[in-house]
Amino acid sequence: MAGESRFTSIAGTIAQAQRDAEREDERRQDEHIDFKMVTFSLGGKDYAVDIMKVKEIAKFGNFTYVPNTMHFVRGVYNLRGEIISVIDLRQMFGVPVPDEEKAQESGLIVRVDDHLLGVVVDSIDRVVGISSSEIQPPHPIFADVNIRYISGVVEHEGRLYILLDVERIFTREDGRADGSGLESHGAPGMRGGAGAAGAAGAAGASGTQAATGKQAAGDAAPSAGPAPDASGAGQSSAGAAGADRQAGAVARGASGPGRPQSAAADTDVSFIGEALAAFNAFHPSPINADWVARRFEEWKAERSRAGKEIQLRTEEDAAAFVHPFFSPYTEAFWGEDYLERVARTLPDDDALPGNLNVWNPGCGKGYETYSLAVLLRKTYPEKRIKIWASDIDLLSISTAPNLVFPAASVPEYYREYLVEGTNGFSFAEEIKELILFEYHDVLHENTVPEAGVILSRDLLSMLPQEAQHRVTADFSEKLGPGGIAIPGAQEALDALSGWRSVGGAVNAYTTVGPSSRSTT
Amino acid sequence: MRVEYINPFVESAYNVLKEVLNSEVNRGDLYLKSTSMPVLGVAAVVGLAGDVEGRVLFDMTKETAINIAAAMLEGMDLEKPTELDDMGKATITELANMITGQSVTKLHNLGFQFDLTPPAIFTGENMEVSDTGVEALIVPMEIPQGKIEINVAIRERS
Repeated sequence: MAGESRFTSIAGTIAQAQRDAEREDERRQDEHIDFKMVTFSLGGKDYAVDIMKVKEIAKFGNFTYVPNTMHFVRGVYNLRGEIISVIDLRQMFGVPVPDEEKAQESGLIVRVDDHLLGVVVDSIDRVVGISSSEIQPPHPIFADVNIRYISGVVEHEGRLYILLDVERIFTREDGRADGSGLESHGAPGMRGGAGAAGAAGAAGASGTQAATGKQAAGDAAPSAGPAPDASGAGQSSAGAAGADRQAGAVARGASGPGRPQSAAADTDVSFIGEALAAFNAFHPSPINADWVARRFEEWKAERSRAGKEIQLRTEEDAAAFVHPFFSPYTEAFWGEDYLERVARTLPDDDALPGNLNVWNPGCGKGYETYSLAVLLRKTYPEKRIKIWASDIDLLSISTAPNLVFPAASVPEYYREYLVEGTNGFSFAEEIKELILFEYHDVLHENTVPEAGVILSRDLLSMLPQEAQHRVTADFSEKLGPGGIAIPGAQEALDALSGWRSVGGAVNAYTTVGPSSRSTT
Repeated sequence: MRVEYINPFVESAYNVLKEVLNSEVNRGDLYLKSTSMPVLGVAAVVGLAGDVEGRVLFDMTKETAINIAAAMLEGMDLEKPTELDDMGKATITELANMITGQSVTKLHNLGFQFDLTPPAIFTGENMEVSDTGVEALIVPMEIPQGKIEINVAIRERS
């Protein structure tokens, strides 16, 4: 193994395995063997692939890392002069990966059309010969691996093998085989590649201006609600402190059912919507249509009482209109009441297979991220948790990793995870190490892996409608089996197809079946 | 882009430029860019690999590059270039190396370990850099010689 070539193809292994399989065959002569498969384990479970797709079984290591690839791509490897991409099926399918990296990983070299591809697995088992009539259709219960990639289930000598469909895993949905461009095929948590790029540039540039604008407005006057920045799409929920508690109360107190009926009123609502979008504080869409309609009724009443006109003339008007929209505890640590409600909404421990990944775009200064981190740590004490938190507001996100606060502002619930420093309290390393804060625009490519929880409160409504669709499509792709997405309190994801409410104590949604993984 | 990575690059770029050019340096607002971006005319690229992966690209116009090279060489009592000759290119390459090197040292002190590739320099008209699937942090630096855009695209290796 320690040879000059780091690649030690075990020619003998296949031969040995085949001999095993043949002995097996003899014992089962009554059956017709017409299908052989290479079996291996991933996260302690048995999987298999059709041997005809496997070029060889190998031990390899020392991959050359390729920057900026998807998280499951281990790198490229020189296979006797031929450069092949190497991917890690465990990463790809979200099954737990052993902590330490082995110098030599077990794997398969598979052939997909004309490409060769290295695949890292936990360990290779052997070659098993079966009759293809024994292959049973997959059952949706195998949640670890997306059902699209399972071509069947085989029982053999008391063990259950999940037969993976190599073609479907490594081929683009448009039918082209794809060795290197794994990022754009239909793997779990991958987006469709094209399309995302186009508008992102423009949105990114304007978003930046929003970020800088907020440095002045949002932080200087937090009680004034969100900074109504006219220059860009404000992606962050920063600057909305104080808007929180009223939000829930107003929503519950709202009596107006649905949209106004008269044509005149409709025009007014759409006019308000255009004004909001123009001031860039808020973008009306199906997700928040109900809230906008309710709020408009209130607004009319408020404004006529105050003797002011209904139209939004200034940024201040727009900010005042949007003010009650924000979710509870925006820019503050979640109170125990809210923590308890979120806890009741979270999926059961065993409903989330493998490690728990969390995606928290639009995390602002990180208050909600830390709140969720503590809640998850307490809810799932055994799980490996990783939170990807990002925001486009540079000032907010820069403070997030080293957030310092007075102890008085923190509910009792968090105490055991706090440490005292010279300037105040901050979170213990135990919590900090769960979170990765990134300066990132959610409209750019999102490289987070499949997530069990997506927390994105009040982010969508701050994006233009077209961008909302792209981001929710991303959400639906990245949401793992059994996972939930938590949007803002007033945002209804089920207004889009492919989503349904989980009916929890907070507003949360899940995707509807793998077949309808797309949004309107 | 992980938050911890931002400051080392901004600080190093500021310090190094200020030192080697011996002049006023103004940092513009940072922002994020995705997909392809046009290159102004001269681009020096340094690759990073290790705990993180990615690259740092120093983008400037040819004129700026000549001015910077002239300023740097002048400080060393060497002949000033009037066009981007080998000496000029080597000077820009060295600048890229200095800034990236100092950033990497800072990151190393924070506990992130990685290696650099030797810088490569690209010149030409109408060039564009595309790296899909990654977002770049742009650090614009205004100096008397012109404008340098430092384009940092790195991320955690997962």
